Amino acid sequence: MAKRYLILEDGSAYAGEGFGAGATTSGEVISNLNLLGYQETITDQIYHNQIIIFSQPAIGNVGINHDSYESILPTAKGMVVRDVTNISTNRLSRLSLDEFLQQHNIPGISGIDTRHLIRKLRKMAGPVKGSIVDVADAHAFDQLNATVLTNRQVDQVATPKPYPNPDTGKNVVVIDFGLKHGILRQLSERRCNVTVLPWTASAQDVLNLDPDGVLLSTGPGSPLDLGEGVLEMIRAVQAEIPLFAIGLGHELFALANGAKLEALPVEYHGSSHPIRRIITNDIIYATQGQGYAVVAKSIDRNRLITTYVDLINGTVQGLRHRDFPAFSVQFFADGAPGPHESRDLFDEFMEAMTAREG
Amino acid sequence: MAKVVVDAMAMQRALTRITYEIIERNKGVDDLVILGIKTRGVYLARRIASRLQQLENVTVPVGDLDVTPYRDDIDHDAQGDPQVSGENIDFSVAGKKVILVDDVLYTGRTIRAAMSAVMALGRPQSINLAVLVDRGHRELPIRADFVGKNIPSSQRERIKVSVSEIDDRDAVEIQQA
Repeated sequence: MAKRYLILEDGSAYAGEGFGAGATTSGEVISNLNLLGYQETITDQIYHNQIIIFSQPAIGNVGINHDSYESILPTAKGMVVRDVTNISTNRLSRLSLDEFLQQHNIPGISGIDTRHLIRKLRKMAGPVKGSIVDVADAHAFDQLNATVLTNRQVDQVATPKPYPNPDTGKNVVVIDFGLKHGILRQLSERRCNVTVLPWTASAQDVLNLDPDGVLLSTGPGSPLDLGEGVLEMIRAVQAEIPLFAIGLGHELFALANGAKLEALPVEYHGSSHPIRRIITNDIIYATQGQGYAVVAKSIDRNRLITTYVDLINGTVQGLRHRDFPAFSVQFFADGAPGPHESRDLFDEFMEAMTAREG
Repeated sequence: MAKVVVDAMAMQRALTRITYEIIERNKGVDDLVILGIKTRGVYLARRIASRLQQLENVTVPVGDLDVTPYRDDIDHDAQGDPQVSGENIDFSVAGKKVILVDDVLYTGRTIRAAMSAVMALGRPQSINLAVLVDRGHRELPIRADFVGKNIPSSQRERIKVSVSEIDDRDAVEIQQA
């Protein structure tokens, strides 16, 4: 395989071997600490325009299968791994990771000491830009430094048009901010008749569909860049219809109800943090992926109840409205990838819809 | 043949949802008291109170209401209506928002008796009813404010609620007579 380089904006360069597509790409470099689920990770639209560094040293072991896509057209900018492996005898495997990345024009680079790199990134403040290039020369660094990171990620990956995912059960409207398929999969398992709406939908657009419940999806980027319109929609809808929000949707739900957000010093992507479910005082694990967190002190206790909290970094992981059946979680309750123990939240959502019918 | 219609997870979830609904409906937990109707309603009441304590960091008073043996396999007419007494309640219900908790809502006669028992203790601001299962077949104009699960049933069927505090597990089962 060809020798390639990962270069960072601080001027450092890491030599490795290229795999996947041979493209030269730039993007924000982030660390993913999950042990499992590289397929879900690389196809999750929250990684739009990002180069993902995997701490798990062997990536590619089980190939690529039909059941683990989180989007149709992944838009991550690259994978940085220690070893890329192609040893799959898994009966579900349809492609190798290498072939998959070639199909989607995503470059990968292997042979990098990713754990060392992740430790280094933790000490660097703010978003760090990086490129995967053939030659790490002055020109490549000039190009990298000239790269401007977009803040229009949601527009890039969310659906511009409504579409249905028909079934025979509850009518659920999903507001798409760049949703992961795990959400639709969980709703399908519960026979929900889903309509996916663009994130620019107004409250009236939502109410016109007479939904039993509304779900605000995950998505990439900063919730602070999406404007006031979506917050108004959330405030109007939550008063009428049971609402469940995940990831970016949770951050917007918090904003809409007066809480403030802060950017984490380093984005957290992993599943090793114990999360306390406050109401029953038990511990769950879930896949988390967040660059922002709700500021605990900013929560108006007369409007919101904190329902989940991360026991490692203390971040708020779940909220619930005091007056309405509207609740949200920061972590990915669809369990794709990894721990499934929070999928129960989809059952809670179903119950909230049933209870409203009386 | 017994069929499990609510498993342990679903029972936990129902109690969690009822807890949130109580907060929604009462705009918080001020002046709230919870009274569980013996036997299993007591344990459900305690679970709801412990959830409120976790969420709001407030101790909501919990009491037990005693109901005379009232089995649905005994002739009701011969037995008369159930009698309820609240002698184990060491707090005042006057001016409070009372949440009655029972496992199964059926004819409504137990609840009527429970309401009389509460009234005998004092004049509450309001009484709400939370039940894990509403199985229908009411004989009195009574409905629950918070329902874990509606289980439309035949009168020939038996609904059996188990709680892990005194039974081997958490479950609601339906049995054909």
